[in-house]
Amino acid sequence: MTRFLLRRLALTIPILIGVSIVMFITIKITPGDPVASLLGPTGSPEARVALTEKLGLDRPLIVQYAKWFGNILQGDAGISIARQTGALGLVWDAMQNTLVLAGFAAILAMVVGVTIGLTAAVYPDSVLARVVSGFSLFAISVPQYSLALISIVYLAANLGWFPTGGMNDPSGEGGLGDLLHHLWLPGIASALVPLGIIARMVRSAMIDALNEDYIEALRSRGLPRSTVTRHAFHNAIPGILTIAGLQAGYLLGGVVFVETVFSWPGMGLLIFQSISQRDLPVIQAGVLLSALAFVLINLVVDTIQASIDPRLRR
Amino acid sequence: MNSRTSQLEADQTIDLRLDNPDDGSGSATQDSAAREPSQPAARRRKMTLTTRVSAVLTFALFAVAILAPIVAPYEPDIGDRSQRLLPLFSGSHVLGTDGQGRDILSRIIWGARPSLLAGVVPVLVAALVGTALGLVAGRGSRRVHSVIMRVLDVFYAFPAVLLAIAIAAALGSGISNAIVALSFILIPPVARVAEAEVSRVRSTDFMEAAAVSGAGWWSISIRHVLPNVAPAIVVYCTALVGLSIVYAAGLGFLGLGIAPPTAEWGLMVNDLRQYTFSQPGIAVVPAVVITIASLLFNLLGDGLRDWLDIRSEAQ
Repeated sequence: MTRFLLRRLALTIPILIGVSIVMFITIKITPGDPVASLLGPTGSPEARVALTEKLGLDRPLIVQYAKWFGNILQGDAGISIARQTGALGLVWDAMQNTLVLAGFAAILAMVVGVTIGLTAAVYPDSVLARVVSGFSLFAISVPQYSLALISIVYLAANLGWFPTGGMNDPSGEGGLGDLLHHLWLPGIASALVPLGIIARMVRSAMIDALNEDYIEALRSRGLPRSTVTRHAFHNAIPGILTIAGLQAGYLLGGVVFVETVFSWPGMGLLIFQSISQRDLPVIQAGVLLSALAFVLINLVVDTIQASIDPRLRR
Repeated sequence: MNSRTSQLEADQTIDLRLDNPDDGSGSATQDSAAREPSQPAARRRKMTLTTRVSAVLTFALFAVAILAPIVAPYEPDIGDRSQRLLPLFSGSHVLGTDGQGRDILSRIIWGARPSLLAGVVPVLVAALVGTALGLVAGRGSRRVHSVIMRVLDVFYAFPAVLLAIAIAAALGSGISNAIVALSFILIPPVARVAEAEVSRVRSTDFMEAAAVSGAGWWSISIRHVLPNVAPAIVVYCTALVGLSIVYAAGLGFLGLGIAPPTAEWGLMVNDLRQYTFSQPGIAVVPAVVITIASLLFNLLGDGLRDWLDIRSEAQ
């Protein structure tokens, strides 16, 4: 297991370097001259040269990249243009609220998705099984902003069941119950699509597993349906986990829309605000941190998988 | 020459179903390879009604977008202040009017142009570049293969939407920049599907036959590999248009697409969002339209896959 972890970690390093290179490229493709925009139209040629040297823009790209990467490692991803503080710090604070939302959505999607998928696989002729195939197609089509808006209109505005936005009651004394109350709508809006995909995946993985010979052998020995299902499920878990891990990326990307619609004070809302302010350092720090989170989540998923399934530890 | 070509084509038709799990074990696949060439076509399933309907509706969607000046009842960008925020089904404004008194139906119809453009073009670009990458990776040396696949892995480390946002924000808003950003994030999945398909074809007998008979790299790629991998890629890309429309509207929603006052679905979602409480009916119209458009392409892709009996491992 230790060897697996070490090897898996070693595989992560080139990915992270690749991620940083891609981010560096997105900074470099920004049109316009950073020196000119900093100096304004009155800057003298000497000042231009001085600033170019100060920013290191006269150095080769590889040196510029190394310097930028070094800064990132020290927690410096540039200064927010709109807020005049460190971009990474801003994003880091917002990220914690995002993880609350994404974590809640992930639990919702896993629990409900697996339950629905299992039921649909065990009872293939049921209405639910048909709904799952139809619903999952709908789920991969519907954008989060649509879901968020529709749920806000019908569950918050019309029925008044849930608050329409924010993370806590303004009084600030709501505690965990209040947070949960605010979590439901953005949570459902984020979770619905991963839920559909997980349900579909669980169903097909379970149908495959239930068709195996050893399941037939278990059935022929007269074991109850629940026991047979449990054996099949154990073998379907790795495939389900892989898909669930991939949904983390979807959740982290989707928060931009869900948080915007629900005014959830997370990284997504911060990115949305930064776009209209053309605050590129914040956007870049946000995307970088999300990619890092995504890579870490996949690392954790792989580790869990390897601890469940010894075949993966080869 | 002619007879040899037709023999190879027959092989290719059979090959379409080589990794179909419905065919059962490896020995069953052997059996199917020995069947008469006409049989696989006969076994092709009938296209379902859903698939046909979604195909017709998809064409209708494009037709409406192209014929926008004729179909749209009102000017999309000119509003009547006295007719502000009319609810759904109010007289001549079937989908109501927005905050500036503009007819929402007309804006949806005109908005279909940039929305579909930003949905379809990135998929076309990704299909071309992704297939080329998949072909080179799948047929190249091990080194070329691993370089291409590892670079693609890096793109998979990003949540796709966020990478698109980072690229589009860096380039500046505008529909062409949104298309560039979306093309980038769609290339890796297409390349993966293409690579998986090429690898599947690579080990078949007819490939060996073509190589033994002295066909060159290009000739084999174009005449033998591409026709075999194309169906799966086309099917995958059809469904991908659905996703691309959602992403494109998402960038529009964030202000990274076309600039107002031009009608675009994502921009309309964000514009009408402020009336969620005063006019909930009209507030969700563009969101519902985007969902329907995306659903159409997903239904079409799914239906085509069943019809052509394709199942790719990469999907």
